[in-house]
Amino acid sequence: MAHRKKNRNVGIIGIGQTKYSSHREDVNQPEMINEAVSAALKDASLTMKDVDCIVHGNMELFEMVHQPDLWHTLGTGAYGKDCIRITTGGTVGATIACAADNLVASGMYDIVMAIGFQKLQEGHTTGGITNMADPLWFRHLQTGALTGTKAYDVIKEFGEERAKRASLMYRVIMDKHAGLNSNAHRAFGLEFEQIDDLIKTSPKLVGDLKLIEMCSQSDGACCVIFACEKKAKELSKKPVWVRDHITVHREEVFVMFGYDDRHPFPMTHRFAAEQLYKRNGITSPVDYFDVFEMYDPASWWAVDWLRDFFMLKGDEHLKLVENREIMIGGKIPVNPSGGVIGSNPIGATALIRVAEAALQVRGDAGTHQIPTPVNHALASGFGGTMWTVLMMLEKELNWQGVNNG
Amino acid sequence: MAEYWGIKVEDIFNTMKERFRPEGAKDVSASFGYDIKGEGTWRLTVRNNTMNIEKTDDLAGCAAIMVADGETFVGVNTGKVDGAGAFTSGKVKVEGSLSDFGKTAKMFRKFSPPKKEYTDKDYIQDMFGTIVSRFQPQNCEGLDASIGYDLRGEAGGQWTAVIKDGTCALKNTIEGKPTVRLEVAASDWVRVMMGKIDAMSLLAEGKAAIVGDTSLALKLGQIFAKYTPTWAAPEQELIMLKRTISVNQKFSTGPVMGKFLNSLKEKKIYTNKCPKCGRVHLPAREVCAECRVPATEWITVGPKGQVRYMEYVYYASPDPLTGETRETPYGMGNILLDGCTGNDTFAHLIRRDQIDRIKGGNNEVSGTRVRPVWNETLTGSIHDIKYFEIDE
Repeated sequence: MAHRKKNRNVGIIGIGQTKYSSHREDVNQPEMINEAVSAALKDASLTMKDVDCIVHGNMELFEMVHQPDLWHTLGTGAYGKDCIRITTGGTVGATIACAADNLVASGMYDIVMAIGFQKLQEGHTTGGITNMADPLWFRHLQTGALTGTKAYDVIKEFGEERAKRASLMYRVIMDKHAGLNSNAHRAFGLEFEQIDDLIKTSPKLVGDLKLIEMCSQSDGACCVIFACEKKAKELSKKPVWVRDHITVHREEVFVMFGYDDRHPFPMTHRFAAEQLYKRNGITSPVDYFDVFEMYDPASWWAVDWLRDFFMLKGDEHLKLVENREIMIGGKIPVNPSGGVIGSNPIGATALIRVAEAALQVRGDAGTHQIPTPVNHALASGFGGTMWTVLMMLEKELNWQGVNNG
Repeated sequence: MAEYWGIKVEDIFNTMKERFRPEGAKDVSASFGYDIKGEGTWRLTVRNNTMNIEKTDDLAGCAAIMVADGETFVGVNTGKVDGAGAFTSGKVKVEGSLSDFGKTAKMFRKFSPPKKEYTDKDYIQDMFGTIVSRFQPQNCEGLDASIGYDLRGEAGGQWTAVIKDGTCALKNTIEGKPTVRLEVAASDWVRVMMGKIDAMSLLAEGKAAIVGDTSLALKLGQIFAKYTPTWAAPEQELIMLKRTISVNQKFSTGPVMGKFLNSLKEKKIYTNKCPKCGRVHLPAREVCAECRVPATEWITVGPKGQVRYMEYVYYASPDPLTGETRETPYGMGNILLDGCTGNDTFAHLIRRDQIDRIKGGNNEVSGTRVRPVWNETLTGSIHDIKYFEIDE
């Protein structure tokens, strides 16, 4: 894969988020976005005058609004600025972070503001998500983002009892994290003692995917401001450096469940992780990273994907969950924010991963801050049928010795 | 019986008859149980557009039973607790058929609590209950003072708001000499706070007195945000617009997909193959994504095959083509058609009454063998196949 060293370093200098909720009837879309934009500007002690370019994104079709980037100008402050709109489905939040990083690194702009949003209570989520599928042959079968395949896989590999408990253990940990994050949409106050009960009683959606295990539908917006090294050092006491990012996807495929081991299905998560770590000289990601903000649409996927993203073998990923090593205070905390299961304004969701990872590096995550130092953070995005984005963040600008070209 | 937000569990059940909507109960003939922890069990019977609710221990034969504690039950029915959240987190459980229980949602108008008459005592309690949260520190920089409220009459009492270092604390008494002391009848104070009468006229009439620093009393409107009863609906100019649209759509198939769909008219599954890696596409594709070469060789596969994996779908999502909610459960099979390899399975519905008999397969063990069931009229669309059924 062709990959070049950055033309110049890029730091995150401002972060703003709305509260995530299923009830934002009190504001319209531009007003909601403005909450995140204002918070990010305040966080960076900037005004719109300082911003050179805006990258705006959401998952199109949900709100059924034409050219939201234009409609939202009052909220984004984009009037008279360069404004680029990006939509890549579920990954869009991660893609706008990558784009903002690239735009600054290229030298085209010094300060770029990335805005991701979604207002799922408006428009029609099902109407939007069914448009994911090819209208000629698959749309009639489409069940949105729900699938029981991952539960089937994990149960087949590790047995029903262990698999189901691991999924619920992950779910309860996320709920506990969400309970610490005042921005989180859903924090039920689940307890570990409820695991066996929830396995039995939570309604099944598809196969062994249960209601409690699936992510929420939220309203909300997130805004992250990226600056070149010179500006970042001038303007921010604690810039968080974007070390690298990678995007991997494959053809649109909804049928990939042949379970033919002679034709293993290439997983974009593992492929992306391998490429990223190789070019950054990282051999043991679990040891290297201090936090991972993962795009976890459901607890089954999350448990399984830990193995891909951390390049683990056998049941190492299950042990991380079972031993609560992914909790705040554990070996590798995952989603101290409560993750996507806690809050999912889709177009903002993957950008929130970057924002929350950066807050952890800065030490500004408040009540869900990891108590030990956070120097290296990883954030992921997921979307489409097989689409992965990974972004690495660093506290110090000290990796230039590593040959990542 | 315990009360939650002033409402008893029984209130919800006792008003069911008057809230019943026969139009929402069409074609429903079933019993539903409610098991409210610590409160009892109720049985709702719906038949011929009529209903009956009774408190009984006999829940035998109910299509579904809802289990919840009293607080959650009242909360969900009054909108104080988010129903979806309570259900997701297991605070509300449904035993038996979830889709049947879902029908009860349309049968009743929303419960609205009887309008309560609030007394002066309620208002006074509410006012002092919210006074600390209404404190405006930004208007009180450097202010070090205490405000005594001496409210007379049945609803009255004594309170002191102590303001220091930008914080406000409330004491349920008046000690010594506060910076300013307000003396007024509790009922009049309620009228002042609700804007029904102004404080000046009370002072003029001698019905109220200010002892101490009068100028501080005049600043009360800045020190505390305006009082609105916690039970009052917020005054906001919010409007929610609702729209329903129905639009026609059309899509071009292109020649490759066209060939694939056309073959369905002849009850054949005709698709193409990568000349380089041999991957058999399903459906047909213009190029092999992995080898980036045109997939030019056409072969007939299936139409029989084996199920490799079936999505057992409980969640009743709308059919995007019709907008109708699908009947659940149903099965969506990933079928490896004869002649196909790898992960290029064919996705289609499985005959609904057979989904419990479907087994998934792999390289070692074949999954359940299935065959397509064709529609009588063939139009060259994926719907020419109704579903797959077990090949026996």
